[in-house]
Amino acid sequence: MGRLRYTISRLLQSIPVIVGVITITFLLTDAIPGDPVQIMLGPSPSAQQAEAIRAKFGLDQPLHVRYFNYLFDVVRLDLGTSLYYGVPVTQKIAERLPVTLYLLLSSFTFALLTAVPLGIISAKRRNKPTDHISRVVALFGVSTPSFWIGLMLIIVFSFWLDIFPATNLILPWESPANVDGAANQLGVIAKSIHHLILPTITLGTLQMAAFTRIERSSMLEVLGEEYVKLARAYGVSETKIVRKHAFRNAQLPLITLVGLQLTGALGGAVLTETVFSINGMGRLIITAIQNQDFQLVMGTTLVFGLVFVIGVILTDLSYAYVDPRVSFDGSE
Amino acid sequence: MNMSNATNRTDADESGPEQPEARVGLRYTLSQVKRDPTALAGLAVIAFMTLVAFIAFVDGVLFDFLSDFTFFANLGIEQYLLANTFWVNPVVDGTGQILRPPVYMTNQLYPDQPGTWAHPLGTDHRGRDVLIRLFYGTRIAITVGIVATGIAMVLGMLVGAVAGYYGGWIDDALMRGSETLYAIPFLILVIAFMTAFGRNLTFAMIGVGIATIPTFARLIRSRVLSVREEDYIEAARAAGVRDRDIILRHVIPNSFAPILVQATLQVGVNILIIAGLSFLGYGAQPPTPSWGQMLSNSRQYMLPNPWFSIWPGIAILITVVGFNLIGDGLRDALDPRINN
Amino acid sequence: MSEPILKVENLKTQFFTEEGTVRAVDGISFEVNEGELVGLVGESGAGKSVATSSIMRLVEDPGEIVGGTVTYKGKKIVDFEEGPDGELRRSPEMLSNEEMRKQIRGREIAIIFQDPMEALNPVFKVGAQLREFIEINRDVSSKRAKEIAVDMLREVGIPEPEKRYESYPHQFSGGMRQRVIIAMALACEPDLIIADEPTTALDVTVEGQILDLVEDLQQKYNTSFVWVTHDLGVVAEICDRVNVMYLGEIIEQADVDDLFHATRHPYTEALLNSIPRPDQSVDELNPIKGVMPEAINPPSGCRFHTRCPEARTVCKEVHPTYQDVSDPDESSHFVSCVKYEDVGYDDAESLDTEATDAFSGGLVEARGDGQ
Repeated sequence: MGRLRYTISRLLQSIPVIVGVITITFLLTDAIPGDPVQIMLGPSPSAQQAEAIRAKFGLDQPLHVRYFNYLFDVVRLDLGTSLYYGVPVTQKIAERLPVTLYLLLSSFTFALLTAVPLGIISAKRRNKPTDHISRVVALFGVSTPSFWIGLMLIIVFSFWLDIFPATNLILPWESPANVDGAANQLGVIAKSIHHLILPTITLGTLQMAAFTRIERSSMLEVLGEEYVKLARAYGVSETKIVRKHAFRNAQLPLITLVGLQLTGALGGAVLTETVFSINGMGRLIITAIQNQDFQLVMGTTLVFGLVFVIGVILTDLSYAYVDPRVSFDGSE
Repeated sequence: MNMSNATNRTDADESGPEQPEARVGLRYTLSQVKRDPTALAGLAVIAFMTLVAFIAFVDGVLFDFLSDFTFFANLGIEQYLLANTFWVNPVVDGTGQILRPPVYMTNQLYPDQPGTWAHPLGTDHRGRDVLIRLFYGTRIAITVGIVATGIAMVLGMLVGAVAGYYGGWIDDALMRGSETLYAIPFLILVIAFMTAFGRNLTFAMIGVGIATIPTFARLIRSRVLSVREEDYIEAARAAGVRDRDIILRHVIPNSFAPILVQATLQVGVNILIIAGLSFLGYGAQPPTPSWGQMLSNSRQYMLPNPWFSIWPGIAILITVVGFNLIGDGLRDALDPRINN
Repeated sequence: MSEPILKVENLKTQFFTEEGTVRAVDGISFEVNEGELVGLVGESGAGKSVATSSIMRLVEDPGEIVGGTVTYKGKKIVDFEEGPDGELRRSPEMLSNEEMRKQIRGREIAIIFQDPMEALNPVFKVGAQLREFIEINRDVSSKRAKEIAVDMLREVGIPEPEKRYESYPHQFSGGMRQRVIIAMALACEPDLIIADEPTTALDVTVEGQILDLVEDLQQKYNTSFVWVTHDLGVVAEICDRVNVMYLGEIIEQADVDDLFHATRHPYTEALLNSIPRPDQSVDELNPIKGVMPEAINPPSGCRFHTRCPEARTVCKEVHPTYQDVSDPDESSHFVSCVKYEDVGYDDAESLDTEATDAFSGGLVEARGDGQ
């Protein structure tokens, strides 16, 4: 019962954040100078044409009316029509969001799979050469601009060695007919992974480094806890102490960080998509901002906010799953 | 530092044992840092970078100043100014050999034009010296990183202190607001902000500053929550000391250590964010040289001259490593647990 | 009485820090007989906990056992011999870390830590933690281990043990958690339990309950105990024999009655004067002067001379010998004080210390800086 109630309360708590995201984006886009109608119709539209467009998109209404109209539309899952692309915003997002989520998921998987073992080994061999190397790697990882890593990877692996492609991303569930050189679905998946590797490293390195650092320090802390000493005093082997007694506790700070890193990673996705010319949400929002496509800016930002909020809720739930103190009513 | 969970962690969690108790005092901090070789290395890197930035700054000002006087111009004094020689001089700009490789390297596209000592790191797509542009980029990077951090720190401290001290609905409103800011990716928030208010470095700094308020707000708030419970605060309040004085005299000084650590690390993060912004065209505008913009320019020439893409990245890397080393060193010095 | 089950001889443990070598345990010797409850008493920083972790061979970096012998039922937990180059080195009889883990820890010697709030892993159920340790140390099946665990929880007075077996540590109070820890120790059926200030973190009523519980269970299972504490009241209540530690050394050792009624060492005397007794009023309480110096740079001669009310010049120069000074009617009574040696104490002049009357207040201030 504890967990269900916890989940529901977390969902409810995130509603104000989402409304806040809509409000901030709405005010910011409204402050952007320039007339969207002019962009749509060209430099010198006739007055009637302009009026018609204004009325159609509700642009003739005062700010607060437009704001509440937009809120109601959002509740009905209607994000309006993109001025630039001329299609519903939801359609554009449905097209681009999977690409970005695919990239995000792959980078976080890469980051976690490398960072957790690296951090643990580092903590276990504290102040030994292995530890020093992994700390230096992590330090450089958090200090390097992700897009520059992308550029370097392209130079080395695409230009010089010619083993990975430098552009585009293919979704694994794409139809083989649309993918060059893929005979069947398996071929598409293989191509997809082949294309995914460089962008994954580009976007994932920062997360990997940040995760390694926190994994190391939390593992060090947990290994000094009384309950670890107690396990040692009862003859539990060091391997089992690390794998069982210390492991779960040491993951708690990492879980929190994974949620927090999501917002940085979404920003990083914008850069990674630019470097690798991937048509995901990041490039969509840049295009939208550059073309003053207000509906699209608001829609994409809202989705970014939603992805972040859902991500944080998921990490909170896994935190509660790992740490019984969070979701259970204790006797304390 | 520890930024507790964005949306739901209880107050007790945030102010709990995760926050090391500050052994306050600048002198103590410095004495600890002095014994830490990595922090010293970081300090050395940043001292060097700051010196470079300062020379570039003075040189730029001198150039602007002297070029206003024909008397100096007639003396030919601008010949000795770096800015004039390599940076915005229209004569050199564009007529220098473009895309020259670094010393002793050859260029696939122009094999007959190897690198020379005249341009140790080569030239860019407009024939400008890469080393000099890196040199001027330092000024932008360091200034922008520090100013943006300063904005975030001041506003964040204000928001966090007020939220933590007064609690109740003020706390709720401010914290929800800061979560909202956090929920929009920095880069997108800042780009939208710049599009709305102005696409230049000033608004980049303000934008980044505002976008990173939550980091500091949360830190201060958790400190306030723990300090608020201390007996001497209770005593001060009972003795009729005003809230504002309590925050200014007790809470903020007590939070000195974690803020210093966070601020140092944040300068590094901000340099990375601003480089990313410049890369997307939302930073310093040409011809002002910035590292992100150099990388952005280099993208079209990666095949003939990959070196052009390498140097600015290394410059960013070294600078950010420097700030991270100092930040880590400070944290180790101030956190007795990790430091034994 | 037969051969003692634990024999500690001249045990030395040092910490190698940047500031210098800390001689946390500096040549202590004591014995524990079967079924005996031996106290190890001293102020914080005296080296009690380091001594117990040395016996378990669980000293953490930068600490290291550097000398002495610890024999448990004939097995050498710690043993050093002189190498060909004159250096002390581990003797071949000394158990390896793996042997310590498999043969001694938990199985033969169990430990109870000071803070029950920290000693249980917050993310695992209490029962699962108990069961794991029982499985490891008693070679029983998981199912049998659970039965033992539940029985033991009942034994230590936890109501509804089957239900509490499934609870998490945060659902227990401090006293209940310490009962769980005690159950854990007893369930592994060790012959010796080292209790490291097990009641210090508890409030007084709970402390009393736990002490009663331990006394009952000790008699029932005939387990030997090393009971580490800074509280002489606790010692008087449960211990058979007492060792008093000061700055890494044991300075007095006697049966509990002799220690309280035929006290030999001025430090023990001072300790006793500093605790309330039924036959005294609060006004007569006489706390020990000063703070214990740091073990990194112990005072010369007798380490207690800086705070000793009976200090004389000779105390500064001569390191006292730890020797048996028992009266004919005592079993044995070891003490380490020059008063009982023929080194000229009686003729020496009295020394100005923090505790003697001639001492002026100035030194206290000066020494305060060093702390």
